[in-house]
Amino acid sequence: MANMMIRLEGISKVYGMGETLIHALSGVDLSIKQGEYCAIMGSSGSGKSTMMNLIGCLDRPTTGAYYLDDENVAELTNTALARIRNLKLGFVFQQFHLLPQLTALENVMLPMVYAHVPPAERLKRATAALVRVGLENRLQNKPTQLSGGQQQRVAIARSIVNQPLLLLADEPTGALDSHTTQEILDIFTELNRSGMTVVMVTHEADVARTTKRVIWFKDGQVLNPNLAPQELHQLERP
Amino acid sequence: MNPLENIKMAVKTLTANKLRSTLTVLGIVIGNASVVAMIGIGQGAQTFTQERVESLGANLLYVFMDGQGSEVGAGDPPQLLLSDAEAIAAQAPAVKLVSPMISASLTVNYQSRTTKATVQGITPDFLPVRNMQMTTGRFWDEVAQRQDATVVVLGAELSQKLFNRTNPIGQEIQIGDRSFQVIGVLQRKGAALGVNPDVNAFIPITTMANQLVGRSVPGGMSIDEIEISAKDQASIRAAAFQVTNILTRLRGKQDFLVVANKSVQDLLRQITEALSIMLAAIAGISLLVGGIGIMNIMLVSVTERTQEIGLRKAIGAPEQSILQQFLIEAVTLSIAGGIIGISIGVGSAVLVGVFTPLKPTVPFSAIVLATGVSGGIGLIFGVVPARQAAKLDPIVALRRA
Ligand SMILES: Nc1ncnc2c1ncn2[C@@H]1O[C@H](COP(=O)(O)OP(=O)(O)OP(=O)(O)O)[C@@H](O)[C@H]1O
Ligand SMILES: [Mg+2]
Repeated sequence: MANMMIRLEGISKVYGMGETLIHALSGVDLSIKQGEYCAIMGSSGSGKSTMMNLIGCLDRPTTGAYYLDDENVAELTNTALARIRNLKLGFVFQQFHLLPQLTALENVMLPMVYAHVPPAERLKRATAALVRVGLENRLQNKPTQLSGGQQQRVAIARSIVNQPLLLLADEPTGALDSHTTQEILDIFTELNRSGMTVVMVTHEADVARTTKRVIWFKDGQVLNPNLAPQELHQLERP
Repeated sequence: MNPLENIKMAVKTLTANKLRSTLTVLGIVIGNASVVAMIGIGQGAQTFTQERVESLGANLLYVFMDGQGSEVGAGDPPQLLLSDAEAIAAQAPAVKLVSPMISASLTVNYQSRTTKATVQGITPDFLPVRNMQMTTGRFWDEVAQRQDATVVVLGAELSQKLFNRTNPIGQEIQIGDRSFQVIGVLQRKGAALGVNPDVNAFIPITTMANQLVGRSVPGGMSIDEIEISAKDQASIRAAAFQVTNILTRLRGKQDFLVVANKSVQDLLRQITEALSIMLAAIAGISLLVGGIGIMNIMLVSVTERTQEIGLRKAIGAPEQSILQQFLIEAVTLSIAGGIIGISIGVGSAVLVGVFTPLKPTVPFSAIVLATGVSGGIGLIFGVVPARQAAKLDPIVALRRA
């Protein structure tokens, strides 16, 4: 049996306090194995991003236990969580979130700065990551000099440069057209093929179909934890 | 992230927005410039007054009447006598030379040129006591002194005023209603303690007392002041002590003051020191204001850069690192501002040195201190914004588009 990459037990997340409590997640149990390629889907406000933030150790659940790579992360300090985000996780956002004053190469080197990688190796690894996403000709460009698709590829290069176990992407193609979406998905598929676990939030069935497993959320709960991508048409208009 | 990289990153961030960075440090620049300029000019003023007072004669002592001791309405106010000066010269072993003096403001004219000048009756010992030299001509000797000669030695400026560029030696000038022959001109000296010998005329003290101003009193001839030079620096105190004893015995009471030039010098040093410290402290307040400016802009910058902070945290920057980044930015800014300000301050001190007789000096320690204080201000006023940045919730920060 393959290692469990993610194990969530009775996770709930409550926002606010007093009378206006919002139950963003209520009683989620979910497991994702190492090497899986999943899409999280569901209607707007169903708790997908909240789930991703918890999985990504950017947030802590109100109740429940979360084992990442068999480690109970609920007990860790903020600094230890930062270290996990740095070394074990990679993030790709809808808005790319590149630092505008840095070149593509410098943006990709940033996670290695916090990982105390020696400068010479940073350069080597960042260059390799940018080559892997097909941007060998754009190393010295600033984000404003790149197209949306190219910026997202820089962001992907940045997310994989510390060789994470788990790649998390919250609507990574939400701001891209269909052609560039396909380029980005090809990169994800290739990364998953090389052994990386990839979890992605998306609204588009076409995007979800490139994955191997769909997790469907509804009202802060998992409606279907293991939907085959081919079955998606059944749920498209619930 | 090691500190050097942090500094490089800070420089990069700060130079990406040059105008704002410049405006942010303006307060620090002005603060440092004024502190350094004040210190420099204060030091210059201090050495200037010290040199002036020193030029009067390093071992000089003054004796004059204690104005406050004289009882009102008790007849003529008590006065120093020429015989007091003679007694000091004869009896005080720590005293080298004694120069008694009478001063009066009188009209002086040569041909059609008339001016009002301070005329001083003195003896030949005046020159060595005051540490002065002649430019042209000669001084009168003891014989001339005894014969009430009507000769005059002019200060350099007065001579110029009366004679312009022509040679004054041998010419006759009127002082009051008497005629005097010019026998010499003194070397230029400059003002000190409010007295400028360059604009004065000097005649024998007895001539002054007997022919120009009536100075006969029951005890002899009354004079205004006695200047004394002690044997050397070490005997100034002894000389003051001996003079006080001799005069008290002669006069029956201590109705006079003996003041060493040295203590005037010390007093002036204390005053100028206190003044320049006060000026620098006032200028220092603008440094504080500069610090508040840095804090203000850094707070704005943290708000503007929430996305950057959120992203850095998401990819693994610990709070410590974010805190460090913003602190280093604040310190880099304020030290850079400090260095610019110090340069401007030193520059203005140099300019003051070019255009005034002051010779401002900025001690190296003051520069080091100013740089340190600037850095410290950046650190102190950077803490609040840096903590705010470090404590940002990455999710909230990333969501703010
Ligand atoms: N910081 C917060 N404070 C209060 N409520 C929040 C907060 N974040 C999310 N919520 C609420 O939690 C619920 C789930 O939000 P979440 O962002 O996870 O939805 P989502 O599935 O990602 O939606 P979308 O598809 O629009 O991105 C929503 O009702 C949202 O309003
Ligand atoms: Mg969302």
